[in-house]
Amino acid sequence: MSYESPIRDLLVTGGKTYSDITKDITRPIENKPSKAWWLGFGLSSIVLAIWIFSTTYTMLVGLGAWGLNKTVGWAFDITNFVFWVGIGHAGTLISAVLLLFRQKWRMSINRSAEAMTIFAVLCAASFILSHMGRPWVAYWPIPLPNAFGSLWVNFNSPLVWDVFAISTYFSVSLVFWYVGLIPDIATVRDRATSKARKFWYGFFAMGWNGSTKVWHRYEVISLILAAISTPLVLSVHSIVSMDFATSLVPGWHTTIFPPYFVAGAIFSGFGMVLTLLVVAREVLNYKDYITSEHLDAMCRVVMLTGTLVGLAYITEFFVAAYSGVEYEQYAFLNRAFGPYGWSYWIMMGCNLVAPQVFWSKWARTTPWFIFIMSIIVNIGMWFERFVIIVTSLHRDFLPSSWSMYTPTIVEFSILLGSFGLFFFLFFLFMKFLPSINMSELKSIVKTKHALELEKQYTELLNNNHKMPHHAHETKGDSVHGH
Amino acid sequence: MENKNKYWKGLEELNNDPKFVAAKKNEFAQGIPLEEVLTDSDGEMQSNRRDFLKYFGFSISAVALAACNNIPVKNAIPYIVKPENITPGVPNWYATTCGACSTGCSILVKTREGRPVKIEGNADSPVFKGGVCATGHASLLGLYDNERLNAPRKDANESTWETVDADIKKALSSAKNIRIVSGTITSPSTKKIISEFTAKYPTAKVVGYEAISYAALIEANKRAFGKAVVPSYNFDKAKVIVSFGADFLGTWISPVEYTKAWAKNRKAEDKKMSRHLHFESNLSLTGSNADYRFPIKPSMEGAVLLSIYNKIAASTGAPTFSVPTIEVALNSIDLTAKELLAAKGQSLVVSGSNNLDNQLLVAAINGLLGNIGSTVDLDNYSNQVSGDDAAFEAFVAEMESGAIDAVIFYNTNPAYSYYNADKFKNALKKVGTRITTNSSTDETGELCNYQTPDNHYLESWNDAEPKVGYFGLTQPTITNVFNTRQVQESLLKWAGNTTDVYSYIKNNWQSSILMAGEEAWNKALHDGFYLAAPKAVSSASSAPLANDIANKVTVNYTTNKNNTEIKLYSKIGLGDGTHANNPWLQELPDPISKVCWDNYLTIGKVTADQFNLKEGDVVTLKAGKTTIEGLPVLIQPGQANSTIGLAMGYGKLIGKVASNFGKGLGKNAFSLVGFENGTFTYNTASGVSLTKTDDGYELAQTQTHHTIEGRNLLREASLDEYIKNPSAGNNDHAHIISLWEEHDSKGHKWGMAIDMNACTGCGACVVSCSAENNVPVVGRKEILNSREMHWIRIDRYYSFKNLATGKPSTKEKEYNDKNNKIDFEHVTVMHQPMMCQHCGHAPCETVCPVLATVHSSEGLNQMAYNRCVGTRYCANNCPYKVRRFNWFKYRENDQFDFHFNNDLGRMVINPDVTVRSRGVMEKCSFCVQRIQASKLKAKIENRKMVDGDVKTACQQSCPADALVFGDMNDPNSEISKLFKNERKYVLLEEYNVQPSVGYMTKIRNVNEPIAGEQKAPAKHDEKHEEHKAAEHAHS
Repeated sequence: MSYESPIRDLLVTGGKTYSDITKDITRPIENKPSKAWWLGFGLSSIVLAIWIFSTTYTMLVGLGAWGLNKTVGWAFDITNFVFWVGIGHAGTLISAVLLLFRQKWRMSINRSAEAMTIFAVLCAASFILSHMGRPWVAYWPIPLPNAFGSLWVNFNSPLVWDVFAISTYFSVSLVFWYVGLIPDIATVRDRATSKARKFWYGFFAMGWNGSTKVWHRYEVISLILAAISTPLVLSVHSIVSMDFATSLVPGWHTTIFPPYFVAGAIFSGFGMVLTLLVVAREVLNYKDYITSEHLDAMCRVVMLTGTLVGLAYITEFFVAAYSGVEYEQYAFLNRAFGPYGWSYWIMMGCNLVAPQVFWSKWARTTPWFIFIMSIIVNIGMWFERFVIIVTSLHRDFLPSSWSMYTPTIVEFSILLGSFGLFFFLFFLFMKFLPSINMSELKSIVKTKHALELEKQYTELLNNNHKMPHHAHETKGDSVHGH
Repeated sequence: MENKNKYWKGLEELNNDPKFVAAKKNEFAQGIPLEEVLTDSDGEMQSNRRDFLKYFGFSISAVALAACNNIPVKNAIPYIVKPENITPGVPNWYATTCGACSTGCSILVKTREGRPVKIEGNADSPVFKGGVCATGHASLLGLYDNERLNAPRKDANESTWETVDADIKKALSSAKNIRIVSGTITSPSTKKIISEFTAKYPTAKVVGYEAISYAALIEANKRAFGKAVVPSYNFDKAKVIVSFGADFLGTWISPVEYTKAWAKNRKAEDKKMSRHLHFESNLSLTGSNADYRFPIKPSMEGAVLLSIYNKIAASTGAPTFSVPTIEVALNSIDLTAKELLAAKGQSLVVSGSNNLDNQLLVAAINGLLGNIGSTVDLDNYSNQVSGDDAAFEAFVAEMESGAIDAVIFYNTNPAYSYYNADKFKNALKKVGTRITTNSSTDETGELCNYQTPDNHYLESWNDAEPKVGYFGLTQPTITNVFNTRQVQESLLKWAGNTTDVYSYIKNNWQSSILMAGEEAWNKALHDGFYLAAPKAVSSASSAPLANDIANKVTVNYTTNKNNTEIKLYSKIGLGDGTHANNPWLQELPDPISKVCWDNYLTIGKVTADQFNLKEGDVVTLKAGKTTIEGLPVLIQPGQANSTIGLAMGYGKLIGKVASNFGKGLGKNAFSLVGFENGTFTYNTASGVSLTKTDDGYELAQTQTHHTIEGRNLLREASLDEYIKNPSAGNNDHAHIISLWEEHDSKGHKWGMAIDMNACTGCGACVVSCSAENNVPVVGRKEILNSREMHWIRIDRYYSFKNLATGKPSTKEKEYNDKNNKIDFEHVTVMHQPMMCQHCGHAPCETVCPVLATVHSSEGLNQMAYNRCVGTRYCANNCPYKVRRFNWFKYRENDQFDFHFNNDLGRMVINPDVTVRSRGVMEKCSFCVQRIQASKLKAKIENRKMVDGDVKTACQQSCPADALVFGDMNDPNSEISKLFKNERKYVLLEEYNVQPSVGYMTKIRNVNEPIAGEQKAPAKHDEKHEEHKAAEHAHS
C-alpha cells in the first residue's frame, strides 16, 4: 500500500502551462476592459469624486466642517489613517515575510497584496494631510534644512516618528513592488503590438532581457528588499501605535499597543486581501491561480490574528483593573459600557468572535462566506481604531470637559471617498499591470507534461516495487528544487 | 555764490578726453548691458527684435497676471503730527466710572492709540477695590457695536441734531405734561441738569423705572426706619449672613463690592469665616457658594422669615406672631435663628424679594438683631438701585388717559421690559412727543418719533454717586464713534443752557462736591473717584410690624402650598437684557447651568418627573393670562421642588446678536412679572401649567457632565477640620519619581494659585480674558459642537446626597440608578477655574511634531502660532483639556458675524496679542504680553521686578481675589507663600506633569465633617523627606 501525505494541494490547478499563465494574466491588459471592470472603475471614480469634493471642502472651510471638538481632537481622521495603514500591512507581510520563509503559496497573491499596500498607504497619507489644521504647511514635520534659523522638528514627538515610518514604508513598498513587476512588465512589452505599449512597458521594464545575470540580480535584490521590508511590518504599526501609547490619555497609554497594533494590522490587511481576491478571482477567472488553498491559508491567518487582538482587548482590561489607576479603569469601563459601548461590542464581535468560524474548513474554503467575513473583519478593525480614539478621548481626566463626538456628513464622505481613491487606483492597476506575478508563478506550476511524467513514474513504482516509504514526496513539493 | 572748487571725476575729465566727453552725454556712462543680458551664455547669438518682443511680452503678461490678483489694500497710516500723550505701542490709562449698569464701579480703561481696549478695576477705590464684573468688562464691546445709532433720528429717519433740537424744543415748550422716564440715576450732575430741565419745563416730572426693581426694599426701609433708601450692606462685618434669594455675589445691587467684602471674611487662614446661609428657589451663584443652602418656594419666603423672626423675637422679648408650621428640610429655621442669635449685631439678613412684606420682615429681623448701624448702614446708603413701581404704573395710566404730551426715555426700555408691553405700547402711542435717548434702536425706540442717541459711557463726561459720600467721575476715553450726543448735553440744550457738559460737571464738583479748586478737581479726575467724609452711622430699631403681616404671609404660604411656582431671575452678565446685543456676554456660560446663548426653564428632577419632562424637552408655559411658547427645559439640581426658574433679559427681536440674527434667542420672561401691593413681583404661583410639546431643543452648554465621578480633584474640608489640621482633605499626595530632567529655572518661574474657597464662579475672569487675549466669539452652534474658545473656564461640579447612605454621590452610575434615593434638591457646588496649567513636564510639548508649543525659561508653556500645523495632538494629550483649536477662521467670516466680522468691532482687538488664524491651536498664555510689558517697565525704571508687578487679566478682574499670579522663584512672593500652604494641591499630581497652577482646598463653614477620617499628616512629610533624602543621595 502506498500512502500519500496530503500536506498541500496543488497551488495552481487546472493543469496550466506556462503559456496559459502568460495568456491568462496578460488578458486584462491586452484586451478591452470588461463590463465588470468598467462598472467597478466607474463606480470608484464617482466615489473618488466624493473624496475630492469633501476633502477640498474641508481644506477650504476648515476642520470645523468635521464633528471634532475641544475634547475629541481626533476621530474619523486618525481612525481612517490607522485603518488604511493597517490594511497595507498584509501586503508587506505576504510579499516579504512569506518570501523569506519560502512560502510558495504567496506567489499568486503577493502582487495584488503589494499594490493594495501602496494604495492603502496613499489613502492613509491623505488623512495625515487632511487632518492638519493647516495642510498647506504639511511639510513642516519633515526635518528639512531651512532658512528660518533654528526651526527644527521635535524628535520626541511620535508624529515625527510617524512621518519617518510612513514615508520609509511607502518608498520601500513601492520599490519592492516595482522590482517584482519588472520581469512581468518585460513580458507584456515583448507581447506588445502597439508602439505606445512597446514604448511604455519597455520604459518601465528598464531593459530587462531575461538573461541569467539579470535573473540572478533580480533574485538577490528581491531577497534584500524582503529583508528590509520585514522589520517594517513590525515597525510601522508599532510606531503608529505609539501615537497613542506615548500619550497619557487613559485608554491610549498602554504598553501592549505595539504588538497589538501589528497583530491588528495583519488581521485587517488579510481581511482586505481576501475582500479583493475573492472578487478578483471570480471576475477575472483566476480560480486556478488563487485556489481555495490560498483562501484557506489566509483565513487561518485571519483567525490567528483576530484571536490575538481579542486577547489584547482582554489584557487591556486586566491591566487597567490591575493598575489601580482610576482614570484607566474608568476609561475601559466607559469603553465597554459608556455612551459609545455599542462600538466596543461591534469591535469585539467582529474581531474576536466572528473569526472563530474559521475553525471550520467549510468556512475557510467557501468564497462567498469568506467575502462576508472579510467585510466583517474590515468593519471590526475600523471600529477598533474608532473605539480606541474616540472612547478614550471623549471622557478623560476632568469630567467637566467630557463631550460627545458626532461625525458630520463631510467626514462620512471622506471615509467613503477614500475607498473610492483606493479602488480607483486598484482598478487602474488591474487594467495596466499584471495582477499576478507571472514569472514567480511559473516556477511553481506543474505543466501537463510534468504531471504526466509524475503519474507514469508513480504507477511504475507502485506496480513494480511496492515501496511504501517512497511516496513521501508530495505533489506540491515536487518542483521545489527548480 | 557758485562753488569755484572743481573736482574731477578722473584724469580723463581733466584732459577732456573725447571718449569721456562723448560718454558724459549719456545718463549711464558705462552703458546698459542689455545686449549681454539678452544674449545667450555662449555669446553666439545676439539678441534681436524677436527676443526683445518675447521678453517684453512675457514681462507685460507676468505683470498683468500678478496685477489680476486682488490683494486687499490695508492702510497703516502713521501719525503725521504725534498727538499729545499718545505714543504708539504704549497704553494710556484713564480712571473712570463704569456705566454698564447703575452700580457705578470705579474702573480703569486702557487705551491704545486712542481706542479703549480693556477695562480693569480701579484697585485704589475703597469701595470696589479693583474688581469688575463680567458685564463691566463686556461693556467695552458695546462701544464698538455697529448697531448703535450713528445720528439722531426723526420718525425713524436719519436727521441732524439741529433739526431734532429745534423740533423737540418746540414740542416741549407747548407740552402740558412732560415726563422723563429714567432708570436709576446716581449722577449728582445729571440730577442737577434734570432739575434745570424741570425748572425750564415746570410740568416735567421724573418717573423712575427699573426693569428689575428694588421698590419693596426701599419702601420697607422707609416704613421700618423712616429712610426710603437702599442701605449699604457690610458683608465683611457679618459673622452670619442669611440671604433670602438675594444673589448678592452675582446680580444683587452691587455684586463686585459685596463679593470683595464677602470673600474678605471667608479666609480659612484667619481660622474664622462668616457662616453663610441661603434660602432660595433657583440655584443662584450666591446659593452655590453658601455654607448651608435651603431650597424653598417663593411663596414660603414670608412664612419662613416670620418663623425665624418669631424665634428671635421670643428670645429678645419682642412681640411674636402666629405662623403655621412650615415643612422645611434640615431644620433650617431653627438653625438659622440659632446662628443669628449667636451673632447679634454681627449678622446680616438680606432678601432679594420685591415683596414688601418680606422686606419688612427682613428689616424687622435686622432691627431685632441690632444689625442696623453695624452690618446695615442706612446713613451711608446706596444709590445704586432704585425703582418706584407704583409711580410707573400711574404713569402708564396717565399715558392711557392721554394726559401726557411728551415723554423722554433715558436709559430704560419699558416697551421690552414692562410686563404688559402691549398696554404700554398702546398707551405710548397717545403721547405726542416721544423721545428716547437710548443709543441704539430698541423696542421703545421703535415707537418714538425722536431718537437722540446717548454716547457710550466711554465717550462721555459724567459723574456718579453710587454710595453716599463716594463720588465717581466718568471721562471720555475716545472721541465719539458715531454722531451721538450725551443725554446731559441734550437736556441742557433743551433747557436752553449752552454750557458744555464738561464745564457743567466741573463747576458742579468744584462748587458742591469737592468745595475746592483746580487741584482737587485734577486729583479727582486722576483718581476717578472722590471720597467725602462718611456720615456718622446710627443704629436704629425697626418700627413694629403691622399685625396683618402674619395673616398675609400665612395666606400666601397656605394657598400656594400645592402650586407650582415660577421664580424669575436675572442672569449674570445679561441682567435685565440691556446688554443682550453683546456677544461676549451671550457667550459667557451661565455660572450655574453653563448654558450660553439662551434662557430656559430650570426645573428640579422631582418636579420634572411629575411633569414627565426631561432635559431638551420644549414646553408651553402658562401662568395666569400669560403664555410663553417654546421654552426649553433644563433639569437643574438644587432647584426647589415645585418651582420653575426662568431668566429675564432674553427674547429680544432687535439687535443682530440679541435676536440671534432674527432667529430669536430665548423668550421674553418679563411678561410673567406681576404688580401687587405697589411693587413688581418676580414670582408667580397662580395657574402655572406646563404643556409638553413634541419639539426638542438642545441647549448650548460648555459643560455637559456635571459631577466629578468620585475623582480626587476637588478637595474640601470643613472649617473645624481645617482648624484642627490645616491639610485636612488634602493629605492625598502622590509619591512621584521623575524620569525627566528638570527645566532650568534660574530667572523667574511663573505660577498661579487659585483659592477655591474664594472663587465664587462669577465668570468675570472669562470675559476679562476674552477681552485681553482676543478670544473669538463662536456662537451658539459652535458651543453646541463643544468648540468654545475661552482660554479660562470655570468648571462647576455638583455633589448630590445619597439619602440611603448619607454620603455624597458624584458618580453618574450611582445617581442615575433609580434604586438609589438621591437628593437632587440639596446640592453642594464647587467652582473650579481652569486654564492652561503651564506644566513643568507638559504633555503637550512632547507630542508636537514641529515644536510649536515649547517651554519658556520662565516656566511658561508657550504657543508659537505661526509654527503650528494643527495636528491637535497637544489638545488630545492635555489632561486638563484647556487647549482650543481654531476650527474656522473666526474673523472676517460671515459665518461668525460677531465683532470680529466688522471693522468697528475689530477696534476692540488688543494690539499686543496675535489674532489667531484658522487651523492653529491656542490657549492661556498667562498673559505673557503683560509679563513682557512689566519686565520692560522694570528695565526702564532700572529695578528688579517686584511681586505684584504682573497681574494677569483674570487675576486683575477677580472680585474675590481668588487668583494669585507671581514668581515662584521669589521666596517672598505671595505665590511662593501660597504654594507652601497646607491647602495647596495640584490636579493630577500622580501624573507628574508638574502644573504651575496650584489649587487651595475649599473650606466650608459647616458643622458636619467633610474631609472625614484624616490620615496622619506626618506621613506625607515623611514621604517627602524620604524623597528628598533619596534625591540627595542620588546627586
